[in-house]
Amino acid sequence: MFVHGDALNAIEVRNVWKVFGQGSPDEAIALAKAGSTRQDIITSIDQTVAVRDVSFSVARGETFVVMGLSGSGKSTLIRCLSRLIEPTSGEVLLNGEDLLAMDADQLREVRRGKISMVFQHFGLFPHRKVIDNIAYGLEVQKVDKATRLARANEVLNIVGLDGWADRYPQQLSGGMQQRVGLARALAVDPEILLFDEPFSALDPLIRKEMQDELIRLQKSMQRTIIFITHDFAEALRLGDRIAIMKDGSFDQVGTPEEIVSNPATPYVREFVNDVPRAKVLSVRTVTVSGDAPAGARTVSATSRIETVIPMLLERDEAIQVVDETGASIGIVNRHNVASMLQAEQR
Amino acid sequence: MIKRYRTAIIAVSAVLIGLQIAGSGGFPKSWNIHLSDPINTWQSWIRSNRSHHWLFTYLLNPITSVVEFGLDKTEAFISWLPWFIPAIIVFAIIARTGKWVVAGFAAFAVIYPGIVGVWPQSIETISLMAVSVAISVIIGVPLGVWTALNKRVESILRPILDAMQTVPATVYLIPIVLLFGIGKVPAAIATVVYALPPMVRLTSLGIQQVPHSAIEAGQMFGATKRQILARIQLPLALPSIIAGINQTVMMALGIVVIATLVGAGGLGQEIMQTVRQLSPGRGLVVSLAVVSVAFVLDRVSLALVRNPGSTQFQPSRKQWIVFTGALVAATIIGRLLGWHEFPFSWGTSFADPVDTGVIWFRDTFSFITHPFNDFIVRDVLVRSQKLLNNSLSWQFIVVAASAVVYAIAGWKLSLTTAIGIVLIGLTGRWPDAVDTLSQTLVAVLISILIALPIGIWLGRRPRAEAALSPILDSLQTIPPLIYAIPFVMIFTVGPVPGVIAAVVYSIPPGIRLTSLGIRQVDTESIEAATTFGATDRQVLWGVRIPLAMPSIILAINQMVMMVLAMAIIAGMVGGGGLGYRSIEALTGPNKGLGAEVGIAIVIMATILDRLTQSTAKRLQAPAAI
Repeated sequence: MFVHGDALNAIEVRNVWKVFGQGSPDEAIALAKAGSTRQDIITSIDQTVAVRDVSFSVARGETFVVMGLSGSGKSTLIRCLSRLIEPTSGEVLLNGEDLLAMDADQLREVRRGKISMVFQHFGLFPHRKVIDNIAYGLEVQKVDKATRLARANEVLNIVGLDGWADRYPQQLSGGMQQRVGLARALAVDPEILLFDEPFSALDPLIRKEMQDELIRLQKSMQRTIIFITHDFAEALRLGDRIAIMKDGSFDQVGTPEEIVSNPATPYVREFVNDVPRAKVLSVRTVTVSGDAPAGARTVSATSRIETVIPMLLERDEAIQVVDETGASIGIVNRHNVASMLQAEQR
Repeated sequence: MIKRYRTAIIAVSAVLIGLQIAGSGGFPKSWNIHLSDPINTWQSWIRSNRSHHWLFTYLLNPITSVVEFGLDKTEAFISWLPWFIPAIIVFAIIARTGKWVVAGFAAFAVIYPGIVGVWPQSIETISLMAVSVAISVIIGVPLGVWTALNKRVESILRPILDAMQTVPATVYLIPIVLLFGIGKVPAAIATVVYALPPMVRLTSLGIQQVPHSAIEAGQMFGATKRQILARIQLPLALPSIIAGINQTVMMALGIVVIATLVGAGGLGQEIMQTVRQLSPGRGLVVSLAVVSVAFVLDRVSLALVRNPGSTQFQPSRKQWIVFTGALVAATIIGRLLGWHEFPFSWGTSFADPVDTGVIWFRDTFSFITHPFNDFIVRDVLVRSQKLLNNSLSWQFIVVAASAVVYAIAGWKLSLTTAIGIVLIGLTGRWPDAVDTLSQTLVAVLISILIALPIGIWLGRRPRAEAALSPILDSLQTIPPLIYAIPFVMIFTVGPVPGVIAAVVYSIPPGIRLTSLGIRQVDTESIEAATTFGATDRQVLWGVRIPLAMPSIILAINQMVMMVLAMAIIAGMVGGGGLGYRSIEALTGPNKGLGAEVGIAIVIMATILDRLTQSTAKRLQAPAAI
């Protein structure tokens, strides 16, 4: 779906490290390279390796999700990408330009136009009305008042908050506040959107609603998104690709299907075990060779397994699996699906 | 525990006994380092150079002129206004927030000084207040912002601010009097020095408390540092800054009385007179004028902060013009009709019944008050002073005190204590310090016995606390000297009225902090205890009080500090000790004495402060990692 080549990547991250603590970080990096764990390094020299040699690239229009538990370094990582936290070493290339080599003025220009961020606890300004919160990015850029209010109203509509412009953030519910956060980020029309656990402070129903909203918006706007979460299900729903982060480095990077069907480490498997596979895996993964009787029903190889379950329940008869061109690649039957579901139980 | 330290305890005891046998009672007088000499030399230098040295002609005299100009014009302007105009303005400002009753009270408070016949004096005080607070804000806000943004500035400024708050006002009035002479200007400058710390602190706190996420959001949108400061940090810190102004006003009112020692005039002067005339009734009436000034300034400053999203009435431009126009018209008409002076005065007619009441109380209860007075003076104060001055050798005292401090707070403070006590001895203020310390400890003990039970009781009864809160508030705004007057009448001049006034003064914050601590105990801990079937009493003693302990120790800390601050007032009503010496220094020729007193008080305050704070820290449950 996305081509990974230097020229097309919106963001390219190379060997980023972040060490917290007093004194020079060199020793901590040397220890880490020699294989010491994060806890060893804390005990021996009282420094924390928060981000440990992380490299990845994100294609234009792709949604890249970094999933990790608290303390995994994911929040530090996303702050390193925008230099809210200064990385200890490494490169962050934005359209081929190294963000870490920029001086304060250049960095400010990038932040004004290219990158926006949505924060975990919304980061809204309680002393400004909703509309002025949304217009903030434009105000900083000294856009004149009429233009920025017009733009803010436009975005307010997009996130479905028309009519709330003159309220103050604290008068809104959590979900609505985060809509304001999202609108504020969108108002400056950024190429890249950074999401720092934006929905984790919301209750489950609202969270789902916001995820749907984001999926809907992303369909039409096609921005490059880097999304941090601690919720594996959220990562599966939103990510084109997912990185599982643990103790400062990535355990595995891949599409949701790759990760669920083939977890790389025991740690990743822990998460995968709880996932209803039928909702993530495609029919292709349970397809076996063979031919269906003439006139059998057909299903696309890329659709989720859950779509064939009602079909198989309705009539116990093999279903023809076809690829994008319509050519048959095999069949699925009750037996295949049932054994996949049983494997999940174990 | 005891076993582990047995050797240490035996060793220290042996040393102490040795010191007691070998050492001498009282600090050797011949060791006095005569700290006051250089200051007295400086004083005579100032006297002979005041008219021509550049320090005066180019720096101090211009400052004096500017402040004097401000004071004169403010006072002239307020006196020029027809008397009802300030009341209308105050009413309008507060009524705008929808609090009509408070607005009415405030308007009444504005004219109250007129009703009791101290209108001109209250204008004098308000002008002094306004100018001092304005200067404090002009200096304090930028300093506060700077300390919030720069760690190094903070580390330099913080100890200075601490010292500014512990040095008794009479002590730093001395250099101010030396440099600026006697009058309203030095009074204003002293007020600024005294009132500045909360302004700086609260501004700095406000800036630091701006949520990190708001600043990060600003940074993410590419805001410059200046844009973040002006558009995010300062607006979000505004409530804290206003609270700082509020505190500054209260602090400034707090030294109204002491400022009269250098010629501030105004309400403070009136209060001093009531002390001399021993008239508690008049004292009460005049100090209610101070309370009403405090009340008005407090409410007005609160009304000026607008909470985002509040439904506060926003006047349109047209309404503004109409209101201002009406006000100007009223002013002109008032002036034309000559209504600028307050039209009537009931004078002291409220005062007499109070005086009669106090005299009745004195005569009726003398069978209790006399023995009480004798007990405190003869059996407690004189005995403990004899013990510290004569019976125990000074070497014993130094080592014993540092050993106790070591056990509680570690070697750093222990060393400070040893050096501090010796230093007090070297300045020659040992007997005065002993005097003040014994009074302080007695007052603190009484305060603890009263404040902690009440605080613990109130902590579980929010409604009772809400009802008591205005009383506690006004106790804190009444000038402390006023408390002393009735007690001077009841107990006659001496240490006891000072001790009791200190108790009354220090109890409100003690109660406040204790009940706050009790109330803030985590509900889940209490629910847990309750589900295990603990009785109310078990919950109180097993959960609430242990968890509130840091707060309770902090309450004791505050009470110690406030009692020490009252040492000066104690000196005014015959309590002797360091307080008396500081007044002697301020009003007499020996200004150098003030420095010695100042050092002694700061040393005592520092040690007691750190000691209680580290006790609180020890009692705190370990923080999460």
